[in-house]
Amino acid sequence: MSNATLDGAPIALEDAYQHAARILACAKFPVVAGLGSDAAGVRAAILLAERLRGAYDHLACDDIFADLDVTRSFGMFVTTPNEARVRSDVVLLIGPGLTQHWPALFERLALDRPAYFNKDAPRKLIWLGPKRNEAKIEGIDIETLAATPQNLPFVLGALRARVGGRPINLDGATAKKVESCAQALKAARFGAVVWAAAALDGLTVEMLQGLVTELNATTRFTGTPIGARSGASGAVQVSGWMTGFPPRTGFGRGYPEHDPWRFDARRLVDSGEADAALWISAYDGEAPSWTREDLPLITLAPKGAGAKRGLYIEVGRPGETHDAVELAQETSSFVLRRATAPADTPSVADVIREIGARFSEDVPC
Amino acid sequence: MKPLLFALRREPEQRLDLSKLTPDRLVGRTVKEIEAIEIGTTKVEARVGEIFKVRSGDPANLHFEGGSERFDLLGAKLLPGFSIYVEGDVGAQLGRNALGGRITVAGDAGPYAASGMSGGHIDIDGDCGDFLGAPLPGEIAGMAGGRIVVRGGVGQRAGDRLRRGIILIEGDAGPDLGSRAIAGTIIALGAVEGRVGYLNKRASLILAQAVDFGPTYVDCGAHNFAFARLFSRALVEDSRRAARLLSQKLRRYAGDTAVYGKGEILTPA
Repeated sequence: MSNATLDGAPIALEDAYQHAARILACAKFPVVAGLGSDAAGVRAAILLAERLRGAYDHLACDDIFADLDVTRSFGMFVTTPNEARVRSDVVLLIGPGLTQHWPALFERLALDRPAYFNKDAPRKLIWLGPKRNEAKIEGIDIETLAATPQNLPFVLGALRARVGGRPINLDGATAKKVESCAQALKAARFGAVVWAAAALDGLTVEMLQGLVTELNATTRFTGTPIGARSGASGAVQVSGWMTGFPPRTGFGRGYPEHDPWRFDARRLVDSGEADAALWISAYDGEAPSWTREDLPLITLAPKGAGAKRGLYIEVGRPGETHDAVELAQETSSFVLRRATAPADTPSVADVIREIGARFSEDVPC
Repeated sequence: MKPLLFALRREPEQRLDLSKLTPDRLVGRTVKEIEAIEIGTTKVEARVGEIFKVRSGDPANLHFEGGSERFDLLGAKLLPGFSIYVEGDVGAQLGRNALGGRITVAGDAGPYAASGMSGGHIDIDGDCGDFLGAPLPGEIAGMAGGRIVVRGGVGQRAGDRLRRGIILIEGDAGPDLGSRAIAGTIIALGAVEGRVGYLNKRASLILAQAVDFGPTYVDCGAHNFAFARLFSRALVEDSRRAARLLSQKLRRYAGDTAVYGKGEILTPA
């Protein structure tokens, strides 16, 4: 069974669905935001946005676009983690907090062992800009290239310049270190870079992919990106096959229009252009980042994340209370995750289906 | 003949797509026909007549009396020989893909101004949002010609993927000025911050105030550039301060060496 509250006070589930349907159907330009759900939930949310002629946005879009903007305006070398695991003799890790963004990183890429197709030599690991003590892992030898999050883009640029044999404005120990790392990358037979979109911005990722492109002139090098939180990579795929665009797409004129600036949910809400919001965060009950308080709001979040303001409908966690299809970081493909603790709490898709059944585009509100 | 006038009745409730209101698309239309043009972007209808009071005049010269941060795509695909004057602010993508003509904004402009512009002259009295002259997400190249003059400051990544043309900023520039610039010229007379000219291929950035350009810009010394002096004369009409900056002895930093190293940053020696 599910719980629902209205401004913190309990409300019957049927009343909650009715109320939600009224809020969304009466809005001039509603936004379906958050989108933190499995494939079925995202699919239902996008269909709802289309029916409402509103917009949709994912909560981790800023991180999504760090990678996606490079893919679509520069190009990107990527491979699956399994390919990197069995082939890479050199692994370049970029940025702080990689194991926070993907706790199974070292285990899945088997970084403590030689690559399957390169058994004779140990894997060489270089970590650019780890956090303090982050690269000190027992039993694994990691060469570090120090950088703060602020100067990481510059050190990366210097590394790329040296890989290409171009001059840099550095001297002393740092220059030597950059030089030796550049030589190590060039000596790779099959290299892989690992980075998390959440820790870098688009320009840095473009610099990184430029480095990979240059290395590919003489050897093989590719990338293993760590996707953003709350099912972001899956949401991008679902959005792509449904509308042809990633999130931050609107249906205001009846057809999908993609504009990452215009359909940024935070901007839409704070500027007053959106007049109602459906917020979905089924994985971890994250709160929306906008500041406006007087907006009619419906929150779909798991137990314990109850919203104090507006309408709240409890949903189950994908892969925990119900079976879920989501894009898995470990295989870079959609997988079915069996429920670990099955419960009859409705999924995001269930709740959206119920709300959708209670309004009609043909009947004015 | 007086210009064709659009007087704003009240602040619009939704973002407006003004790409339909460029001179070449209004020639030969009556006021009544113009008033019936749909410019809304949501399911709520918004016709020109509800938003503006239209007064007939020469459609080659448009005059917007009153502006709004929600006026998107104003002057999109503008053609040579036409002009638009806005007494107020404008929204995103001002002069998008403009091929020529002149746009003057007596207020602020939103993000992606002059995006994809390949000719024409844009003058903005106030500040400008992020991504001035930049390509839209998913596009390969940014502004490909023409001239844009901003009297105030600009947001982040102005001149991103600039391909040709001149961007002149009299105020301060936000982070990452001239990022990924392919070619063209960016002149900034105020302060700059962040990664200046990051991933710059062949563009020239002329800055009144130097900052640390990072390890991929190499100092080439101070020189008297003959071309800078010539260029300075071409800028007098738009900005005397910019012309003065370019007539000085300049220090040249070559970069971004991470890419080709064929671009440059020039600062007063």
